[in-house]
Amino acid sequence: MTEGLHQDRAGCGLKALRSLLPVLVILALIALVPLFSPSNRFLSLAISAGINVIALYGLSVLFGQTGILSMGHAALVGVGAYAAAILARDFGVGFWAALPAAALASAAFAMIVGIPSLRVGGHHFVIMTFAFGQLLAIVLTNGGDYTGAATGLDLAGPVTLFGADMSDLTRYYLMVVAFVTTAAVASWAIINSSYGRTLRAIRENEKLAASLGINVGRHKIGAFVVSGIFAGISGVLLAYFLGHISPSQFSSFPSIYLALMVMIGGARLIEGPLAGGILVAFLPEVLNLDPVQSRIVYGVCLIAVIMLLPDGLIGGVVRALRAALSGKPKPETQQRNATPSEARR
Amino acid sequence: MSPILAINGLSKQFGGVTALAGVDLAIEEGEILGVVGPNGSGKTTLFNVVTGVHRPSGGTVLFRGQDITGLKPHAISRAGIGYTFQQAMAFAGLGVLENVRIAGEHVGTDSTANPWPTPQALLDFVGLSAVANEKAGVLPFGSLRLLGLALALATRPSLLLLDEPAAGLNDRETTALVGLVRQLPGHGISVCVIDHDMKLMQMLCRRLAVLDFGSKISDGPTEAVLADPKVLEVYLGGDL
Repeated sequence: MTEGLHQDRAGCGLKALRSLLPVLVILALIALVPLFSPSNRFLSLAISAGINVIALYGLSVLFGQTGILSMGHAALVGVGAYAAAILARDFGVGFWAALPAAALASAAFAMIVGIPSLRVGGHHFVIMTFAFGQLLAIVLTNGGDYTGAATGLDLAGPVTLFGADMSDLTRYYLMVVAFVTTAAVASWAIINSSYGRTLRAIRENEKLAASLGINVGRHKIGAFVVSGIFAGISGVLLAYFLGHISPSQFSSFPSIYLALMVMIGGARLIEGPLAGGILVAFLPEVLNLDPVQSRIVYGVCLIAVIMLLPDGLIGGVVRALRAALSGKPKPETQQRNATPSEARR
Repeated sequence: MSPILAINGLSKQFGGVTALAGVDLAIEEGEILGVVGPNGSGKTTLFNVVTGVHRPSGGTVLFRGQDITGLKPHAISRAGIGYTFQQAMAFAGLGVLENVRIAGEHVGTDSTANPWPTPQALLDFVGLSAVANEKAGVLPFGSLRLLGLALALATRPSLLLLDEPAAGLNDRETTALVGLVRQLPGHGISVCVIDHDMKLMQMLCRRLAVLDFGSKISDGPTEAVLADPKVLEVYLGGDL
């Protein structure tokens, strides 16, 4: 009997590994992009997208697995970015030492926000995170010289790896790709662990989860803290990339964009955050849209995704492919009826 | 032998409404006890207070001699009390096997020997092995009830509380469920069934306790309780 269990576990592990493979292949291809001597503008856009994707992988654990939506996620990125800038200015702390410190700071901030906010259910949490995000922007703006007020802070430290200067665009790009890969693997490991199963149980039915011995409140806060770690690292990369940070980068609009990206890409699939981050970053470029037009397009995209593709774009593509391959009409209506919790999303 | 669960003077008020008015009830080791009563008699409130959904207004609940009064639902489960709901039966969006696996991953520390060491063994026991890889949400209602039972059993309880376990089941499904529940004392699991379906209770329980207006009005062997004039009065007009 134990043998059967082991076999089953091994089978599960293999299946799980297969789900990671497409992402790794795509990221390997993305790492080859500098070979085609792209423009600096392209590389900058790609780096920004990659930095967002790191935060999105944390958001996918929170939203995709646990079913909690944060509308103040850019604030967690901001805590990481400001932690990096302040540590560099006041203590001479460099990039690599700032990473764990900023991750810790964002995780701690997530816990402080999460403990009161997650006591209230669903929609209230969305509003609470939104409010905390705004609050942080106000605090940063009124922080005087310590936070640089509305102008923000400069960060001029070099990023070196094994003695090599990583500030060069191509090198920074490759480093961000490596961080994105790490974030994707970390998120995949969480999804396929017993911890991931626990979070999904909470997403599906909190009452039932509690009846099975799951401490729902603690795990919800835990998921928010985990997403904070991703956000903090994303913030450090952003601060060192831009060399200058200001409060408006972490207020409500960037937060809404992050939520939008993870929804458009699909929060439950490992490809989702990557697709969402890239798509939202490059769509205005490809379609040649100005900021106002692109906001309209994002809005329409979001409504379309919520109404037509509850699993996001990638989820929709995968389902369409499966339906096309099996040649059967997709049993969508039946599934929707059967799982009301999914259909609602 | 001391009872596995001892409920002493348990009361619950919702504003001015008294849902439980000092209930004393003991569940003995190895028995299948039935708690019956008409709608609004306090059955579900009793269930909710014992499982930690509501905090009691007064009284105590002792599980194997330990005070568990007012513990949170997840702590009640970890202490060794499994319970099923009328509505929330399974995680609809997840696979059947994944459902059972989740349920077995948050077991308390002092659990005893497990009659079903793997999720598959548990699915075999409730007869759902054939649908192990289906999504729980596509299962028919009767199978969902069985999955709910499997989830509660996966927490390795020594006491199982079932709230209207046969509601919505047809005769064949009810018989299958009764067959399963009857085996539980043999696996070291005491059972308490809360229901108003007398036919089910007569099939399952040798002992019944009757609630009415939040108080226990009768408690004893099933035949004696069903002949009790007080019980007959409560159920007057009902099909006893």
